[in-house]
Amino acid sequence: MNDTAISRAPARTKIINFLSSYGSVIGIILVLAVFQLIDNRFMRIQNIVGVMNSSTLLIVMSLAMMMVMSVRGIDLSVAQVADAAGVIAAMLIIAGKPFWLAIIVALLFGLGVGIFNCILMSYLGVPAIIGTLGMMFIVRSFELTLTKGAQPQILFTLPPGRTKQFFFIGQGSLGPVPMLIIICLIIIIAMYFVKERSVLGRHMEAIEGNVRAAFLSSVRIRKVFGATFVFSSVLAAIAGIMLVSRSGNAVPRGVETYLTDCFVAVYIGTLVSKKRKFTVVGTVIGALFVGFLSNFLTLRGMGAAYKTLFNGVFIIAAVAMGALQKNRK
Amino acid sequence: MTEKKSISISGLGNFLIRRGTGIGMIVILLALGLRANLFFALSNLMDVLKQGSILTLIALGLTAVLIGGGFDMGAGALVQLTCNLAAGLIISGINPAITLPVGLAVGFLTGLVNAFLVIMVKIPSFVATLGTMFILQGLTTYYNQGEALTITQQPFFSFLGQGRVGIVPMIFIIVIVITALMHYFFKHTRTGLRMYATGENSAATALRGVNTKKYLMLSYCISGAILGLTGVFQASYSYGASAINSGMDFLIQALSAAYLGSTFSKTNELSVIGTVVSGMFIAALSNALIINGISNQQISGILGIILVLSILLNVIKKREIGQVTIF
Repeated sequence: MNDTAISRAPARTKIINFLSSYGSVIGIILVLAVFQLIDNRFMRIQNIVGVMNSSTLLIVMSLAMMMVMSVRGIDLSVAQVADAAGVIAAMLIIAGKPFWLAIIVALLFGLGVGIFNCILMSYLGVPAIIGTLGMMFIVRSFELTLTKGAQPQILFTLPPGRTKQFFFIGQGSLGPVPMLIIICLIIIIAMYFVKERSVLGRHMEAIEGNVRAAFLSSVRIRKVFGATFVFSSVLAAIAGIMLVSRSGNAVPRGVETYLTDCFVAVYIGTLVSKKRKFTVVGTVIGALFVGFLSNFLTLRGMGAAYKTLFNGVFIIAAVAMGALQKNRK
Repeated sequence: MTEKKSISISGLGNFLIRRGTGIGMIVILLALGLRANLFFALSNLMDVLKQGSILTLIALGLTAVLIGGGFDMGAGALVQLTCNLAAGLIISGINPAITLPVGLAVGFLTGLVNAFLVIMVKIPSFVATLGTMFILQGLTTYYNQGEALTITQQPFFSFLGQGRVGIVPMIFIIVIVITALMHYFFKHTRTGLRMYATGENSAATALRGVNTKKYLMLSYCISGAILGLTGVFQASYSYGASAINSGMDFLIQALSAAYLGSTFSKTNELSVIGTVVSGMFIAALSNALIINGISNQQISGILGIILVLSILLNVIKKREIGQVTIF
């Protein structure tokens, strides 16, 4: 079928191939261009840098989600872990501990949740959707008890000497480049090598394709599957620290809305790859798109209702495009 | 010697796994109740039945779709939408009796959309219902503009959610009626049993010449209709609709109820009765914990633990890795 098509009309199949591999990227650019036509504040350099800067958190969190989803798992606790890690870091700083201790404890918290998730999903076999949903509520409850009923932990009123080093992560910059973007780039590159260029990444791909086959070709499925949860929670904790350091305060349950954005980012990200796979680059593009989308809605003064509506439409559209393409083959 | 011992231990384990859920529920409630005797007061028990009814109805709606082999992330969001719709319609002066068919129709339509996305477009059910969940949430926020819709002075409408027949809450009677209908439908009609078969093993059922798509669609529609109706009851129960987005909280409790209910059966089969018992157990547990002085914030964590434990009872024997096959 494919062969005859090629021999008959090579130019046309080339165009179709091109469209099917880059069509969604063109679509994303077109959407952004339409935004610019509607509101010309959109493409100003200041605005773009602002969006980039605030999207770094979403990028890190979406990468966390992507790691788990690329082995057909799911981590609904990712936003909650980011939330709690940020709160823990803020509380330690308020208690007068040095900034490195705050960061390490928050990361250890992420690691702990990750290991717990790993045991639950991978070694005990709880379906990820249920296990991480339960985990999300356990972490939320822990966090609310810790802050005595969601009291915000405010850092920016502390004397600057105590918070200066901690705030450097989120507000400082090396030369002209904001520190957040540098951290984000490092994480993207690291994740790229883990996901696309390492043995672990190959094994993850094998599990995505077929667990039985992966098991028979001596991939240690439990270890690899579980490892993604650890990656996810640690990345989420990093995102939480970045957020608190950027905004100077930690509001319990403030990050929860990021969970839905993560889904949209990851699913839009699958459009970028030709085989509709979860990739690092795709996820980054997806997260940036979500960042620009919510920025546009804010510029137009459209509220939360539109944002959730758009999120829903884009998720269904993104996945439907992939599904319809598969059906046609 | 050792062999014998291990057998008897595994026998005990089997017994606990089979009967553990029921025994565990009774022990937990007894222990909490003995610490605070107020729990056993008849009026409190009736309150528990009332408080648990909405949750149980949501769990029943979710059970219907789970039995057919689907999944619904948007169950809570749908309930909230019809709850807001009902409250808004009554405030605008429409006869409250009309809200019931409206809720039913909106729910049914949502189920139909879900079924279309899952069956025709072939989007995995998790993603499809996640998308519809966002859309439902967006519509709700758009409709109520972030404000609570409060209903006052609607004696007939409030009777549905808040009234009592004798000492039995009216809403609990509604739960009983719906449970009886669903139980009969799923266990004693050909359609219901075929839906069970579709959910259990879609491929095998299709080979038996059953149109599995039709039954999956039916389960989405039934589920949607029940959830839509539940929203109307909720508007009556809480005198209107709050603007707080609690769809996810509903979802986790309803999922817990459904999965906890499935641990009653030997083969971990989802059942209508099991769901109702578990739903009421969760309500009773929340109530007992509050009487024992445990704060609201910790209760959601405890519910999370229950959810994980209840599913653990189901899967611990299989010990596969927890991949999600529904997306």
